[in-house]
Amino acid sequence: MKRVNIYTPFRAEIKEIEKKTADVNLYRIALPKRIKYSPGQFFMVSVWGAGEVPISITSHSAFSDGLELCVRKAGFVTSLIYNAEEGTDIWLRGPYGNGFPLDIAGNSDIVLIAGGIGMAPLRPLIYEFTNRNKKYGNVKLVYGSKYPDDVIFRDEIEVYKQMGAKVIVSVDRKNGEWDGNVGFVTDFLGSIKADMVSAVAYVCGPEIMIKNVTRDLSLMGMPHEKIITTLEAHMKCGVGKCGHCYAGCKYICTDGPVFSYKEIREYQLMQAWEDNK
Amino acid sequence: MDKIYTICPYCGCGCGLYLHTTGNRVTGVSPSRSHPVNRGTLCVKGWNSHEFINHPDRIAWPVRKTDRGLVRTSWEDALDITASKLSSIAGEYGPDSIGVLSSAKCSNEENYLMMKFARAVIGTNNVDHCARLCHSSTVGGLSGAFGSGAMTNSITEIDEARTLFVIGSNTTEQHPMIGMHMLKAVDRGATLIVADPRRTQIAEFAQIHLRHRSGTDVALLNSIMNVIILEGLVDIDFVKRRTENFGGLMNVVNYYTPPVGARITGVPAEAIKKAARIFATQQRSMLFYSMGITQHITGVDNVRSCANLIMLTGHIGQPYSGLNPLRGQNNVQGACDMGALPEFYSGYQKVSDPASRRKFRRAWGTKVPDKPGMALTDMIDAIGKGRIRALYIMGENPLMSDPDLTQVREAFRSLDFLVVQDIFISDTAGMADIVLPAASFAEKDGTYTNTERRVQKADRALRPYGEALPDWQIICRLANRMGYPMSYNGTYEIMEEIALLTPSYGGILHHRLDENSGLQWPCPDMNHTGTPYLHRKKFARGLGDFIPVEFLPPAEQVDDDYPMLLTTGRMYFHYHTGTMCRRTSTLEREEPECFVEINPSDGKRLCIRSGQPVNITSRRGGLEVKAMITEKTPEGTVFVPFHFREAAANILTNPACDPEVRIPEFKVCAVKVEPVAGKKTTRKPEEVDISKFWIERE
Amino acid sequence: MSDTFILDRNHLPYWLRQLRKERKLIGPMRKKSGDIVYEEVSNIHEIELNCPAILPPVKEFFFPATEAMLRFKKGNVNDNIMGTPAVIFGLRSCDVSALNLVDRFFGGDIKDRYYTKKRENTLLVSVGCNMPDPTCFCMSMGTGPFLHKGYDIQLTDLGDRYFVEARSGRAKNIMNKFRHLFGKPSKADYEDQYEAVHLSQTYFEKRINLEGARNAIVSGAVHDDFWRSVTARCFECGGCVYECPLCTCFNVIDRKYDGTVERARVWDTCMFKGFTRMTGGVLPNRDRIRRTKRWYYHKIVYGPEQIGTFGCVGCGRCTITCPGVIDMATVGMKLSKGVDNS
Repeated sequence: MKRVNIYTPFRAEIKEIEKKTADVNLYRIALPKRIKYSPGQFFMVSVWGAGEVPISITSHSAFSDGLELCVRKAGFVTSLIYNAEEGTDIWLRGPYGNGFPLDIAGNSDIVLIAGGIGMAPLRPLIYEFTNRNKKYGNVKLVYGSKYPDDVIFRDEIEVYKQMGAKVIVSVDRKNGEWDGNVGFVTDFLGSIKADMVSAVAYVCGPEIMIKNVTRDLSLMGMPHEKIITTLEAHMKCGVGKCGHCYAGCKYICTDGPVFSYKEIREYQLMQAWEDNK
Repeated sequence: MDKIYTICPYCGCGCGLYLHTTGNRVTGVSPSRSHPVNRGTLCVKGWNSHEFINHPDRIAWPVRKTDRGLVRTSWEDALDITASKLSSIAGEYGPDSIGVLSSAKCSNEENYLMMKFARAVIGTNNVDHCARLCHSSTVGGLSGAFGSGAMTNSITEIDEARTLFVIGSNTTEQHPMIGMHMLKAVDRGATLIVADPRRTQIAEFAQIHLRHRSGTDVALLNSIMNVIILEGLVDIDFVKRRTENFGGLMNVVNYYTPPVGARITGVPAEAIKKAARIFATQQRSMLFYSMGITQHITGVDNVRSCANLIMLTGHIGQPYSGLNPLRGQNNVQGACDMGALPEFYSGYQKVSDPASRRKFRRAWGTKVPDKPGMALTDMIDAIGKGRIRALYIMGENPLMSDPDLTQVREAFRSLDFLVVQDIFISDTAGMADIVLPAASFAEKDGTYTNTERRVQKADRALRPYGEALPDWQIICRLANRMGYPMSYNGTYEIMEEIALLTPSYGGILHHRLDENSGLQWPCPDMNHTGTPYLHRKKFARGLGDFIPVEFLPPAEQVDDDYPMLLTTGRMYFHYHTGTMCRRTSTLEREEPECFVEINPSDGKRLCIRSGQPVNITSRRGGLEVKAMITEKTPEGTVFVPFHFREAAANILTNPACDPEVRIPEFKVCAVKVEPVAGKKTTRKPEEVDISKFWIERE
Repeated sequence: MSDTFILDRNHLPYWLRQLRKERKLIGPMRKKSGDIVYEEVSNIHEIELNCPAILPPVKEFFFPATEAMLRFKKGNVNDNIMGTPAVIFGLRSCDVSALNLVDRFFGGDIKDRYYTKKRENTLLVSVGCNMPDPTCFCMSMGTGPFLHKGYDIQLTDLGDRYFVEARSGRAKNIMNKFRHLFGKPSKADYEDQYEAVHLSQTYFEKRINLEGARNAIVSGAVHDDFWRSVTARCFECGGCVYECPLCTCFNVIDRKYDGTVERARVWDTCMFKGFTRMTGGVLPNRDRIRRTKRWYYHKIVYGPEQIGTFGCVGCGRCTITCPGVIDMATVGMKLSKGVDNS
């Protein structure tokens, strides 16, 4: 293994593209060999001539043959991925990152809080925690989006419910037909009726949302080490060498991207949060 | 890995650096520790000056315009077409129907050859370069007052100065290594006075920051001189012995008492008095100026006022004190010295002087035209009028750098023939009939003259990219084809010819430049060791001439339709028309898009927030850019950098020119600024500080 | 333990010439302009050993400012890992110490082959500093002027001869091949060597107490006003990072040369705001003060926490290359002397 070049991506094939919202696609990718990955990890996705971007894994390796990635058209590289067609090659490196800690869930309540594209990395957790063989606690999902059209996994919500999760879906602002909840995810933390003191929370979404949710959860009595979130950073290598994601004294790519709220505070990973304390 | 000494291709500081090469690739850059200007430091552009050299956009072979766009052609073909076209146009419409633009990015040798090409091969004095747009006012203003238009002191002298007066120069960002020396002087206790409407980084270190209104420099300087005269701070001995027409100055300056100055400039009278007293009473006072002074319709007047102030206080003709125009391009001083100007041969020998004409006629063995040629800005006008039929442009990009781009583009369309010699397909090269691929600075040797008149030699580090050739070889080949034999074995031979014909470069030959980082002109003979500061004992013209000037307002005033002043300029990470820096990953990443700086109170009034797209419109055109709310820019003024081709600030600028030297007024024009209709804020605002966003949402 | 030898000064060129037969020889060379730079040695007699802190550091021989990493052509990826056998002669203790730290960073569990391959194939022959520069403070950092461990071959200049210590296995192997050139040190040689080491310590003009600086920061005694005054002087040139023998941040860029995509890495600098810009334009480090702090914190505070040593070897290169005089030595000195937060 010593001779492996950590920067060389391997070739995979886009089997299927599922359009989720106006700017988000779900890609089903056939991997050349079986690769074990866990929830919360990410792949570096390459477009030759444009660059590489870190994309978190949307699928659970036990429930999916290949790999599923959810990509939102945001920058140069993601726009090119967005325009890719089924059957084209895509180049990957990974999986990288630490992934979500699963053992701390135990059999207490599990609270999943997702905002927008932040649902993508949490999706494999739903599959993991509703797995009846593993005897996890109750799964409660709060899933917020900006507008009704932005609810990426709208079609899967019924599936989650069938799998045994309690689901609250909300939008920040409604337009068109939407008879569901309206409000920020923080407004619904009380209505999920979880025992916050013993529960464990997995949070993913825009940074502002993470900040608000972690604050509220900790006010509701949840210990900081049980609030788990995944951070986003500018990354070039994904393997702790390029230095772009260095924050506090941690590399988001290799020490993270999953951190507990306790770690975030301890290592001052989010300096923007510190300033407004 | 080899390390080859060269001169930084960006600004006029002329920092010495090493290019690190492996194979035929440049892999890095490092500063020279022994270089007197940069002393082991570099700015971000210097540190990244290697990246564009191997950029895939480089033109690898000659290109010809066809119906299918630009297509590859051979050197033979490209040169033949160019030669025959230029010859036939010169034959049909006369040689003065051809304009030649030389380049402040090319070496002295190449600029010399280019002006020789214009004068000896084509037979026209229509040769100019971008100094027209930056420091022609300096050349014009100072040659009148002192007899020589260049920085009087050396950059290293700044360290020892006691007072630094910086007017219209964003030194730490535009001449960072000169800024470094200024900071060093301030650390040693020097007083720094900055006059600039914008709150620039250098202004943060100033004891006095005079934020005068754009375009009121003459009033400010006259007012300062008024205080100096009134309070008896004039260096009377100096004025008596070394200058003339002091009475004339007094008559004009009398009017500009501090209250009058304050009313025109917006600077408090007390601040004017304080600045005047400090500047006049301290020994070792240096004055620095740059585009803020020159790029006005009163550019020459501004420069003259600076010269008057310096003569009034006697701060010239000695080390550590003098008048220092900071030149913008790495070789803009050299290009002027080499006579790439319509009215001068090399060494500022006048075209109108029969003796100089005779000298050059005999040296070149051909007739030379006697009438001074057209300035760059006049050539653009003349194209529209059909008086210029063809342009030969070496390494310049007027379609980004000239004012009122819409008009310029229109004019270029009507050219019969355009040949551009460049390293990238710039906006100008994109319109050319023939594009000749030139070698970059790393791929040729030659000499460059930095802002302190230091002639420095750069060595060749690489083989030229693709089929590219050094500019001097292209000029020679073209001249040969047009029936004028030009053959040189190397740039050193051209330098010998320059030394022979140019008194101030008389002792400057390649072999003398290898050591001690070059020589500062005037260096008249082989035993001369160069001149660190000018006008010792007497001015170049004899006595210094006080040329009094009255304040004149800018060509365009704000009114109800266009209520804001626009001033344009550069930013730290980019350089001029961006052909090199925008192909450098680090620089482009730092500032990927254009913006307009707006004062917070204007922002509030116009309901504009940071990051929001706004429309800026002038009488000549409009563009959409992103707003950046900042205290840097004063109320009522907006600032737009001109590097971005997708939002070219020069679409807005006013082509009104200084009547004497034809420099356009880039620094002032009237605009209106309004938020783009329908776009409240961009959905994902660029460069929004997360922490700010967070407060708003709570 | 090191093997020790004595080398007659007159035999040095011969030895270097022999070394050059099998490897590229890189050493400090004087250029026409008067600068001394590391480059491939053409004439061994022109090697210049009287300049401790040479700009830039030798890191560029292992981690160049631009390095093509991968080439992608017609669906195939080729990696461009190079590692010509080389010997770097005349580098200093600070350089060797820095490389040892960078080895830990690029080596370890996740190996950066571009760096390690070059490093594995390069022998370092360092020279202790009898006479440090005014900018040097390696003694304060424990990374010089002479090393006790961690080097391949270390030379001590004793005037007419060199005291040679070979430490690493490969160094000892190489020394075995040249046994005939080297003598056995006498007691007087050991004494002279000790004197050189001892004496050089008295020449340091700078003593920087980074531990004190660290304590000041960790104890909360340093307010943002101090960092604001530091930042105000920053020219954003990136020189401190480019010249630092320990800084290894890089950006990755793709370029298309007809038909081939070249993925290259270029040196990058955490001092720039775009360094952390995320897709969509969010800039976590828009604030210049925060960026300045980031660099100093990484080196002064997090270094000891993470790797047990400061992220500085006291080579003084940032002192030379910083136009704003806010280099590690200056800032470290101010911090350790107690910051005036007013």
